[in-house]
Order: sequence, then structure tokens, then C-alpha cells
Amino acid sequence: MTFGLGHVLVLTAFLFGAGLIGALTRKSAITVFLSVELMLNSVNLLLLGLGRHLGQMEGALFAFFVLAVSAAEAAVGVAIVVAFIRRQGTTNIDAANLMKW
Amino acid sequence: MLSAAVFFGVALLAFVGALTLVFHRNPVVAVLGMAVAMVGLGVLYMLLAVPFLGLFLMIVYAGAVMVILLYVIMALGLQEEGPPVGVPQTVLTYAAAALFIVHLYRLTLQAGPALFGPVESSFGTIQAFGHLLVSRYAVPFEVASLLLVGAMVGAIVLSRREWT
Repeated sequence: MTFGLGHVLVLTAFLFGAGLIGALTRKSAITVFLSVELMLNSVNLLLLGLGRHLGQMEGALFAFFVLAVSAAEAAVGVAIVVAFIRRQGTTNIDAANLMKW
Repeated sequence: MLSAAVFFGVALLAFVGALTLVFHRNPVVAVLGMAVAMVGLGVLYMLLAVPFLGLFLMIVYAGAVMVILLYVIMALGLQEEGPPVGVPQTVLTYAAAALFIVHLYRLTLQAGPALFGPVESSFGTIQAFGHLLVSRYAVPFEVASLLLVGAMVGAIVLSRREWT
């Protein structure tokens, strides 16, 4: 047997669910950042799988643009984490309460 | 068949990497789990007939981003995090993730496995990709380059010590 769109969809769902759990239940800024990246990449896999299923290159193209945007996001995200750690001396996201109402 | 065996093995590898990233309390191990997941996803991209994008993913993520994150963690000497979030938020998050997975799984059951057939030989080649990128999608391509320059300048501004 070979694999198909259904298998890719299920794997995508599990990766996105794991990323969601990490982004909402962890306190370390670095883990939250990585979990968001994981969700982004699971959607990327979905785009590629659907593009392969429909036989069109547009899925891969969109995945390429998502990859470019996530590279930009990773650079800015790491800079924000570094500035935050320098200022607060911790990675705990509860310390980011300056604009909390 | 070989490709199905590779698919299930690599999918398992990627999922184990993702679980390590999400649940391990040591940030260095979490980043290494992310690198493993990215290598797995890169092989999956190759199996989905877009091999150069898989190489791209491995170089950009498992290479560049993970090394920068490890550098940040080690340079700043981060230790493990504090107490976890409260019980209601944890329960709600797990319920939302389970709902999402079950819902998508039911949709998949309706659609069936939809096994991948053969594709035409030009699908996923770097020639076809590059042709689309400079003809129909030339404007998004240029906008992406502007975005990357903007992100680079933004990252420099954010990490300068006297400006933050």
C-alpha cells in the first residue's frame, strides 16, 4: 500500500494539536515561540499535501511563501525574546505584564 | 511499498520530535526536538514530490533557526521554567486540541484515504517552480523579499542594547 491525503491530514492534525498545547500551556517564551513555529509548519505540510492531491504547483508555492514569512518571523521573534530576557532576566511569559489591564 | 514505510516512519519521527518540543522542560532538549521534527518534515516534503522545498526546510530550520536559538539559550544561560499554568487553562487547551484532532479525523474518514496517484514528470521540479515564481507570482515574490529586508532591519533594531 501507499500513502494518501488522508494520512497527511491526520499527521497535520496531530502536529497542530501538539503545537496548540505547547503554545497555550507552557510558560517559557522559547517553548511558546517554537510551538507557534510547529503549528505554522503543520499548515505548510497540509498545503503541500493538498497541492499534491490536486496535482497543482500552487500548494508548494504557497508553502514556499509561508516558509519565507516564517523565516522573517523567526528572526524578529528571536530578537524579541532576547530583548525580553535582557529586560526581565527571565523567560517566564508571566513577566510580560507591562500592558496588562 | 517503500514510500509508505518511509512515510509512516518519518511521520512518527516528526511527531515524537514535536512531543519532545512541547513537553520537555529543558529548553536545549526542546530545541533539539524541534530540529528532529524539522528533519522529519523535510523528508515528508520530499515524499510529497517537492524535494527542493524539503532541503530548504532542513537548511533554514534544522540549520539556521535552531542554531540561533541554541546560541541564544546558551549565551544567556537560561534555566528551566517556573510553575505550569493553572488547571482550567490546561484542561481547556487539551479539550480544544482533542476537538480539533477528532474533527479533522472525522472529515478525513468521510473523504477516505485518497491515495496519491502518479504526477506528471514536471511536477515539483525546480524549473516549473522557478517559472511560476517569476511569471504569475512575481509580485508576491518581490513583496516577500521586501518583508525579509524589513525583518532583518527590525531584528537589528530590537537587539541593540541602547534602543530597547
